[in-house]
Amino acid sequence: MALLEVRNLVKEYDGKTVLAGVDLDLEEGQVKVVMGPSGCGKSTLLRCLNRLIDPTSGQVIFRGEDVTRPDTDVRALRQRIGFVFQHFALYRHLTALENVTLGLRKLRHMPAREANEKAMHELRRMNMHEHADKYPAQLSGGQKQRVAIARALAMDPAVLFFDEPTSALDPLMSREIVAVINQLYLDNVTMLCVTHDLFLAKYISDRVLFLDEGRVRAEGGADQMFSDHDDPRIRAFFGHGPQDR
Amino acid sequence: MSGWLSFLHDALDYWPQILAGLGNTVLLAVIITVTGLIGGVFVFYLTLSPNRLYRRVTEGYISFFIGTPLIVLLFLMYYGLPQWGLRLSPLTVSVIGFTMNVAAYNARYLMTAYNGLDHGELEAARAQGFSGLQVFRFVTLPQVLRMSIPGLTNQTILNLKDSSIVFLIQYTEFFAQMQDLAARNFQYFKTYLVAGIVYLLLVSIIVIAARQLERRFVMPGTRA
Amino acid sequence: MSFLQILTLLAAGAGYTLLVTLACIATGLAVGLLVAMLSRVRSRPLQFLLGSFTYVFRGVPVLVLLFLVFFGLPGIGIRVPPLGAMMLSLGLIAGAYLAEVFRGALDAIDQNEIVAAEAMGMSRLQILLSIEVPQMLRFSVPGMLNEFTTVLKYSPFAYTVGIPDIMKQAMALAATTLRGLEIYLAIGLLYFAIYKLILVAVRALERRFRVPGLTPP
Ligand SMILES: Nc1ncnc2c1ncn2[C@@H]1O[C@H](COP(=O)(O)OP(=O)(O)OP(=O)(O)O)[C@@H](O)[C@H]1O
Ligand SMILES: [Mg+2]
Repeated sequence: MALLEVRNLVKEYDGKTVLAGVDLDLEEGQVKVVMGPSGCGKSTLLRCLNRLIDPTSGQVIFRGEDVTRPDTDVRALRQRIGFVFQHFALYRHLTALENVTLGLRKLRHMPAREANEKAMHELRRMNMHEHADKYPAQLSGGQKQRVAIARALAMDPAVLFFDEPTSALDPLMSREIVAVINQLYLDNVTMLCVTHDLFLAKYISDRVLFLDEGRVRAEGGADQMFSDHDDPRIRAFFGHGPQDR
Repeated sequence: MSGWLSFLHDALDYWPQILAGLGNTVLLAVIITVTGLIGGVFVFYLTLSPNRLYRRVTEGYISFFIGTPLIVLLFLMYYGLPQWGLRLSPLTVSVIGFTMNVAAYNARYLMTAYNGLDHGELEAARAQGFSGLQVFRFVTLPQVLRMSIPGLTNQTILNLKDSSIVFLIQYTEFFAQMQDLAARNFQYFKTYLVAGIVYLLLVSIIVIAARQLERRFVMPGTRA
Repeated sequence: MSFLQILTLLAAGAGYTLLVTLACIATGLAVGLLVAMLSRVRSRPLQFLLGSFTYVFRGVPVLVLLFLVFFGLPGIGIRVPPLGAMMLSLGLIAGAYLAEVFRGALDAIDQNEIVAAEAMGMSRLQILLSIEVPQMLRFSVPGMLNEFTTVLKYSPFAYTVGIPDIMKQAMALAATTLRGLEIYLAIGLLYFAIYKLILVAVRALERRFRVPGLTPP
């Protein structure tokens, strides 16, 4: 059974259609990358899936359960989806360790010791255990993002969402994060990743979706999408204009 | 309702005194707002002095007047100085006391604004050959004053409100007259309620005036 | 009257001054926090109410409100003890100012962090308590310090309602010794010392809870 099935998802902002009927399936253990021009609704899509935004219509079926229904326990849903943001969004008043333990303590009601152990484990996995007691302001961008990933992983989510995890990083740090996410891929973590970063997309994805004008315009393997696609808009996006022929 | 009617009647009887009191309140508030601003600019200028001693003394001055109650200063001058044969009128004491106090606060607003200033600009002015005082007059002060408008407005409101304490040293301003009225008609609640509303109205006038001022003088692009 | 006697009287007064100051600060903090929190609730009537509260209490002089509470309220059948009157006047006024301080601090919190907490599955209350309040309090330190100082500086008004604070003791001493100059100068320094004490205490607290790099953007 698919982990996530999205059917005909529509989102309108006062009459303006941002998502115009998106269909998407994500299997357990699968990694999909969503790409597309700026403003095409990628962030909106991710946020609709964990109900940070309420979709206008359509269905999101999470492990067989339609989570767009009004009686859905939204907070329980969100706890099963790890979310990693472009700008890290670490809690600035908490240390790296406390950032990771917060959810465990407040949402899982884990005793402090156990939460610390689990958090240290996740930080070690991200190779950040030596920085556990530092505050976000004392970390580099790449380090912040690794803490943010550890924070998401600590909750043992069914799936990880990434919204442009490398766009706020310089190329070197961006590589660092790509390597980390690639390791997660090798560990069979289910992921849905929005990115503009071709390098990241190539590395981690089984499948690439091309979102355009609120619809999934094409879906395919990374190689298939990046090299000479039949669709001129996709070719243009990936930089193979007609002049390349 | 009849209570309010009799209150109104008494207030009308007492109208000339109330009006005179209101005049005294406004007079004091206006004087100390002006002298406090001039004093504040002067103290602020001293805090920029290259001389360390000057800076230390002015910082001590600001800290002391921010840390001690104005009322103590007023009592010191009004009830203490006659001991040395120096008798000052309530208005004189009020103006001196408030000016010293308000100048300290205003200097601090100006200092905060100064710290947010683009210091490259000041260097540029120096490089152009302006003297220290010229840089202060033509570059620093105009900008710092504009940026401090919100703080200075607040201080003006505080000046008006705080002027209500000078009845304690026998200056017959508005609140003193209202207390007299209350002592005559025994309608303490109504009288003080009306006094509060009058202050609120006066404050509102300052708020509206300040908005106009801000709209005219705030530099475009200096505030988000 | 000996110097020692004078000192003991002033020390007793200092106790009352501290009591009044702390009681009014506590009132102000409670009211300020409540108003700031409620200002997050989306309700037009409530917002109008809160807006009116802060406007009125920032617009009325402390002494006028104190007299209204202490001398006025009994006229409509409500008797308030002196300390209560200080809390209902100076305390509420401090609350109105602190509400603005806290509200500004809340607005300075990075919205991305709130969204991240929502995405984690935290409830509104959990976000408020674990993310917003801790950051808000840190951002508010300068504003709180200002307001605490103001409360201390208005605390001498307590003498007008019969609380035997520093000011009241000083007036009595000035009347008996006829040395007003020295006495008022001395209590000026005494208030300044208490101000420095508050400053040191707040700074120490701030240092204890300081987070590197956490400044309002
Ligand atoms: N709250 C909102 N109200 C109105 N319009 C919105 C709102 N949020 C987003 N939009 C619009 O929806 C469209 C899609 O936004 P979204 O952030 O999902 O794009 P995106 O694909 O993530 O773009 P980017 O690559 O720049 O991050 C944009 O045109 C945006 O202006
Ligand atoms: Mg986006």
